[in-house]
Amino acid sequence: MATLTARLLAQLQAEGLLPPAQAAAIATDERTRPFSLHYELRAMLYLGITLLAGGAGVLVYQHLDSIGHGVIIAGISLLMSASFAYASRQRAPFSWGEVPRASIAADYLLVLSCLLFLVLEGYLQAQYGLFGQRYGLATVLPAGLFFYLAYRFDHRGVLSLAITTLAAWVGVSVAPLALFTGGFPSEALSGPGLLLGLALLAAGLAAELLRRKPHFAYTYLLLGGNVALLAALVRLFDAAGFDTGQPELLRALLVALLVLGICAGLVWYARRAQSYIFLLLAVGYGYVAFTSSLVLLAELVGIREEFLQLGMLYFTLSLLGLLLLLFNIKKILRLA
Amino acid sequence: MSFQAYPLACATDEALRAAAARWQRRGLLTPAQRAAIEAAHPGQYVRPGIWVRVALLAVTLLGLGAGLVLAVLLTAGRLPATVYGALLLLGTVAALEFAIKSSAHYRSGVDNALLYVAIATWGFLANEISESLVAGPHVLTLWLVLMLVVLLAALLRYADPLVAAASLGTALWLLATTLLYSAVGQLLLPFGLLAAAGALLWALGRLPAYAYYTYYRGAALVLRALGLAVLYLAGNYLMVREGNAALLGGGGVSGQVPLAALFYVFTAVMPLLYIGLGLRRADRLLLTVGLLALAFSLYTLRYYHSLLPPEVAATLGGLLLLAGALGALRYLRTPRHGLTSAADAEASPHFNLENVIIAQTAHVPAAPEVGFEFGGGHSGGGGAEGRF
Repeated sequence: MATLTARLLAQLQAEGLLPPAQAAAIATDERTRPFSLHYELRAMLYLGITLLAGGAGVLVYQHLDSIGHGVIIAGISLLMSASFAYASRQRAPFSWGEVPRASIAADYLLVLSCLLFLVLEGYLQAQYGLFGQRYGLATVLPAGLFFYLAYRFDHRGVLSLAITTLAAWVGVSVAPLALFTGGFPSEALSGPGLLLGLALLAAGLAAELLRRKPHFAYTYLLLGGNVALLAALVRLFDAAGFDTGQPELLRALLVALLVLGICAGLVWYARRAQSYIFLLLAVGYGYVAFTSSLVLLAELVGIREEFLQLGMLYFTLSLLGLLLLLFNIKKILRLA
Repeated sequence: MSFQAYPLACATDEALRAAAARWQRRGLLTPAQRAAIEAAHPGQYVRPGIWVRVALLAVTLLGLGAGLVLAVLLTAGRLPATVYGALLLLGTVAALEFAIKSSAHYRSGVDNALLYVAIATWGFLANEISESLVAGPHVLTLWLVLMLVVLLAALLRYADPLVAAASLGTALWLLATTLLYSAVGQLLLPFGLLAAAGALLWALGRLPAYAYYTYYRGAALVLRALGLAVLYLAGNYLMVREGNAALLGGGGVSGQVPLAALFYVFTAVMPLLYIGLGLRRADRLLLTVGLLALAFSLYTLRYYHSLLPPEVAATLGGLLLLAGALGALRYLRTPRHGLTSAADAEASPHFNLENVIIAQTAHVPAAPEVGFEFGGGHSGGGGAEGRF
């Protein structure tokens, strides 16, 4: 590293682009600048709270009947209270805008106290049947609490925790990689999933447009867009079997149009926020929905065979179109 | 005509523009100076962003596959496979040189794909050559030699990071096959790998003095990371013991290895050495490899001795990590020993992504029932226990 800097500085001096004194100042700065351990420490904090909450969650159940179990519960409660107290003490006054981060430690301890709250709540339900048969209440309650904390502490990590908990109440997973770990959601859950996704998308749009915590829009739109599009595709493929009647086909076409509408919204936000990830999300889902709606249309007017024969041509041409889009992605996002 | 395929200015311009941006952020350059540097080093070559590069790589690979299928169809598959291979090799190398010379591609995805296909085709041809010349176990040795020669030539000419990794892999494979010819060599295998990795790291350490250093920097970085990993893994007790058992065959439980104490010490000391040196020399690569090595050393320990039940190990390890990180954050708030907990101005924050990871990994109860266990899933216990 040091040698590269020396080499670059020497070249710039030789080209007359940098006076020697300034080059020396840069060389000194590069040599004496303290080595930042910021991201390494953050990773350690994150790994620490994940291991701790995961371990505590198992520990609670393993020792349900043993003598030491009161100690474990007391320990977890104490840790939760202490973490929350520390986070509260560092809390900045409330604002609808983005609050500058006061303390990294407080950020992570707040997440830890939320995770430990879930552990304790699960324990109370398992041991004492706190919520009886009303299991829904056991997930809605923490979701509400986490939403409040996310806004009060201006914490996007707690916000995604709140959304995850809310989704668990509905019965779906909003985790971005859920498709790869849990497969497609079942058809029975696709309806609630779609509604939840649309609600989250609406919350994200409202946050952005009403300027109420606009930086929360990213989390809302990414998690909401993912779950809504996934659920809609499940409904689409379910309805678009080959031997279905016209009403089902029309309904599938409507779902495909809904997907395209959501994608258009995501493109709008991607251009507004200049974000690659939303554009790619919209292009990926939009491509699938557009192709499906073409097949559906062909099916409706009865030219499916002819359309499928043109498949290779469509594949090649659409791939080329995709390439064109990728080459112009900076222009689309107004970055260039 | 230089031996390097790309104009040297490609690498220099890229490094200069990145450095100028960093210096301006730190207030060491005026915006006008940065603009002057960027004007003098325009970096006029085809090198789009990472997503476009991946897409271009995929499309070029698809196109080459389609071209090969077309060639086979047009000749009705009557030519021998080696002829198709030779044609493909010649075609890709010619296209690669053309893309660099006339279209100024600089690792745009297109040239990467052409290079990889050319090397893969050579792999096929080299196999045909080896099988026609020798027999038995020598086929593999000859194939490795033929591959290594071409990979090294490609590395010197194109300085591609993936080719660098493949070269190292082939060289180490060749070393291992040669040593495994004899029983003594089998015992010496870990030491042979250690010596090879040490020699590589020593050579890389001398590279910055070389005039073309900037051109090979990306490849050198990959080689250094892999060299450090090999240096650690070659002496890691788990790798030595299980590798030895696999070579002896027979399956079942692995037995104790000779010189076990030496490998114990090596497993324990190397990660700490990496981390210590990384911190002292402000070397992030060394530090990162050291942290990963530490995690693997702890895994090695738990593999042979289940010291604590997984959930206890996870809880205690988590507590220790948390306490350690919190302590370090507080201690390094004002920079000490050349270290700081503040973020570097040059690193762009990935705060949004980090928060989504929380959603991905959080354990949330789904309609809890009596006896339902949530929060589980950390049974591996690869985390830190603060031992050693």
